[in-house]
Amino acid sequence: MQNAGFIRTDEQLRLLESVVLQTSDGVLMLKISGVQDCSKEPVFINPALERMTGFSLEDFRNIGLPLLCPRPDPASLDLAGPNHVCPQHSEQLVTRKNGSEFWAELSFRPLAGEDGHSTHCVWTCRDITERREAQEKALLLSSIVENSDDAIIGKDLNGVVVAWNKGAQRIYGYTPDEIVGRHISVLIPPDRSYELPLLLDDLRRGARIEHYETERIRKDDRRIIVSLTMSPIKNAAGYIVGASIIGRDITERKKAEQEIRRLNDDLERRVIERTAQWEVSNKELEAFAYSVSHDLRAPLRAIDGFSRILLEDHASQLSEEAARYLNIVRKNAVQMGELIDDLLAFSQLGRQQVAKQSVDVRALVRGVLDDLAREQDGRRIQIRIGDLPACEADPVLLKQVFANLLGNALKYTRQRDPAAIEIGVVPQAGKPEPIIYFVRDNGAGFDMRYADKLFRVFHRLHRAEEYEGTGVGLAIVHRIISRHGGRVWADAAVDQGATFFFTLAGADHLLTSPVTEAAAMS
Amino acid sequence: MPDQPLELLLVEDNPHDIELTLHVFKKHNIANSIKVARDGAEALEFLNGATAENLPQVILLDLKLPKVNGLELLGQIKSDSRTRNIPVVVLTSSREDRDLLLCYELGINSYIVKPVDFKQFTESIRQLGIYWLKLNERPQTAHRVRQA
Repeated sequence: MQNAGFIRTDEQLRLLESVVLQTSDGVLMLKISGVQDCSKEPVFINPALERMTGFSLEDFRNIGLPLLCPRPDPASLDLAGPNHVCPQHSEQLVTRKNGSEFWAELSFRPLAGEDGHSTHCVWTCRDITERREAQEKALLLSSIVENSDDAIIGKDLNGVVVAWNKGAQRIYGYTPDEIVGRHISVLIPPDRSYELPLLLDDLRRGARIEHYETERIRKDDRRIIVSLTMSPIKNAAGYIVGASIIGRDITERKKAEQEIRRLNDDLERRVIERTAQWEVSNKELEAFAYSVSHDLRAPLRAIDGFSRILLEDHASQLSEEAARYLNIVRKNAVQMGELIDDLLAFSQLGRQQVAKQSVDVRALVRGVLDDLAREQDGRRIQIRIGDLPACEADPVLLKQVFANLLGNALKYTRQRDPAAIEIGVVPQAGKPEPIIYFVRDNGAGFDMRYADKLFRVFHRLHRAEEYEGTGVGLAIVHRIISRHGGRVWADAAVDQGATFFFTLAGADHLLTSPVTEAAAMS
Repeated sequence: MPDQPLELLLVEDNPHDIELTLHVFKKHNIANSIKVARDGAEALEFLNGATAENLPQVILLDLKLPKVNGLELLGQIKSDSRTRNIPVVVLTSSREDRDLLLCYELGINSYIVKPVDFKQFTESIRQLGIYWLKLNERPQTAHRVRQA
C-alpha cells in the first residue's frame, strides 16, 4: 500500500489512467454486484485486452466471463475477513472472439474499497504465447542435450562448469551437483594442464575446435581418451559468454585401432618371415634339383656305357642270357635318365613364370608333330587338325602340353593300323569362352575307373613293358594347365582310344567329366 | 708322347666318364695323344708347365671339378695369352641355362651335354672329336709341326 498516497491531484490520476490504457497487458475491471453468487459486472477494459481477445466491453457484458474467470472462492472476496487470500494466477488457453486461441497468464485481484471491503476486482491477462513457445523449445533442446550419450558441458569464460548433462555424468562419473560451479580443470590430468589456457584463448577469439583428441580423468581417477568439440556460446548481444563442449569417450575405439595396427604389423612381419623362409626353401630346392640333374646322370652314363662296351667288344664271351641281362641293365639306366629329366622339368614348373601371349595354336601343333616325326616313321597315321583358334598362353609351356599329349597319342596307338589322331576344339553353342581344346586317339585307351590317377606323378595305367613311360608326362601337363588357370581332363575306354580335353583359363564352372558332345571316333 | 703334339686335354674328375671317353676316342680312331687332368689344379699346372708344342689342340672341360672348378679354370685359360686361343669344349651333365650363359660369356667354343645313353654319348664324342681335331682350323705357331 506504499502508493496509496500517490494520487493527490487530477494530473496524477490522469497519468495513472494513461498507464492502464497504454500497458500491453490486458486489464478488465469488474464491479462486484452480488457476493453470494459472485456475480460481477464488467465496468472497464483497457485497449490491450480488446486487442488481445477481440472482445469489447459490450461483449463482456453480454457473454459473461466463463473463459476468463475461473470461479474464485467467495471467501476470498472478503478482504477484511479471515480468509483473505493472495491474488490468483493461472495459465490457460483463451479463446478469442474469432475463435482462435492463445495462451495467457491470468491473475485476479480483488480491489478493496475505502471501507476495506472489495467492491471491485481486476483481471490482468498477459499473452504468453511467445513465452510458452520459447519454454517449449527450451524444454525440447534441454531434453535433447540431457539425453545425449555424449557429454555436453557448458562452461563460462573462466572455465567454470555451468551445465552438465547425463552423458557427461556417465562419461566422467560426476553428478551435476558434484561438478556444476567447479572449475573444469578437475577433469584435466596434470600432464595435460597446458591445454586449458590455449583452449580458452581459442574460444575467446570465437574459434571452434573440432574432434580434438586428448585425455581426461574421471571421478574414479581412471584416465580416458576423449574426442572434444568446443564451440563458443554467445549471448543475445553477440558477446561470447562461455563455451559448450561435446565430448565422446573414444578409449575403446583407440584400443581397437591399436589392436588392429598391432595385428597388421604382426601379419606383415609374419608374411616377411614366411616369404623369406619360402625363398630359402626355394633356393634349397633349386640347388637340390641342380644336384639331382648333375650327380644322378653321371652314374647312369657309366652303367649304360660299360654295359654297351661289354656287349659290343666282348660279345664272344657272353651267352645269350648274359647279353639279355646287360640289355636290361642298359634300358633301365636310360629310363632313369628320362625320369630324372622329367622330374626336373616337373619341379621347375613350380618356379617358372607363366609368360602369356597370343599363341598360334595351329602352328604350334604342327611344330610339335614335326618334332615327333621319328615316332611316325614307317607307320600309317591319319592326323586330322581341326579349327584351332589362337589363345593366350605361354608358348613354351603350351608346346610341352601338346608334346606330351601328342607323344602319348602316338605311343598308345602303336598297335593301330591306321592310327587316328585328331586335334581340335569342342563346339560350344552360345558359350564361346573358355575354349576347350582336345587331342583324341584311337589307341589303347584306359579304364575310366582309374581316371583320377591319370595326372598324378608316377602313376601309370599301363604296364611298362607294353608302353614305356615315366608317369610324369601327364603330371607335367596338369601342372602347366593349372598354372594357366585352366582345367584338364580325359575321357576313354579300354581299347577304344582316349580323348584329352583342356582349357587355358576361366574354367571354374567346368566339371572334370567328359563332354558329351564329343563325337565317337570312327 | 713327347714327340707327338698333344691333341687333346681332357679335364674330368669322374673316372668312369674318363674311361668311356677314352674308349670312344680309341675305338673310333679319333685321337691318340690325350692328356687327362683329374681336377682344375692339375690342369692349370700342366698348362702352365707345357711348352708351345705340348699345348693341346683342344680342351675338353667338365664343369664340376674338385679344387679349381670348371668355370674358374675356364677363366684362367681364357685370360692367359698362351692358352687363350685353344678351343675349349665344355662337356658336362648340366643343361642349366645359367651355366650355358656363364660359359659362353667366358668365351668357350662349344657346349655339349653328356647324354646318359651310351650310343648317343659315343656319337657326341665322335662328332666333336672329328670336328675339333680334324675339321677345325687353328693358328699355327712357329714350332708346331702339323700332323698329317
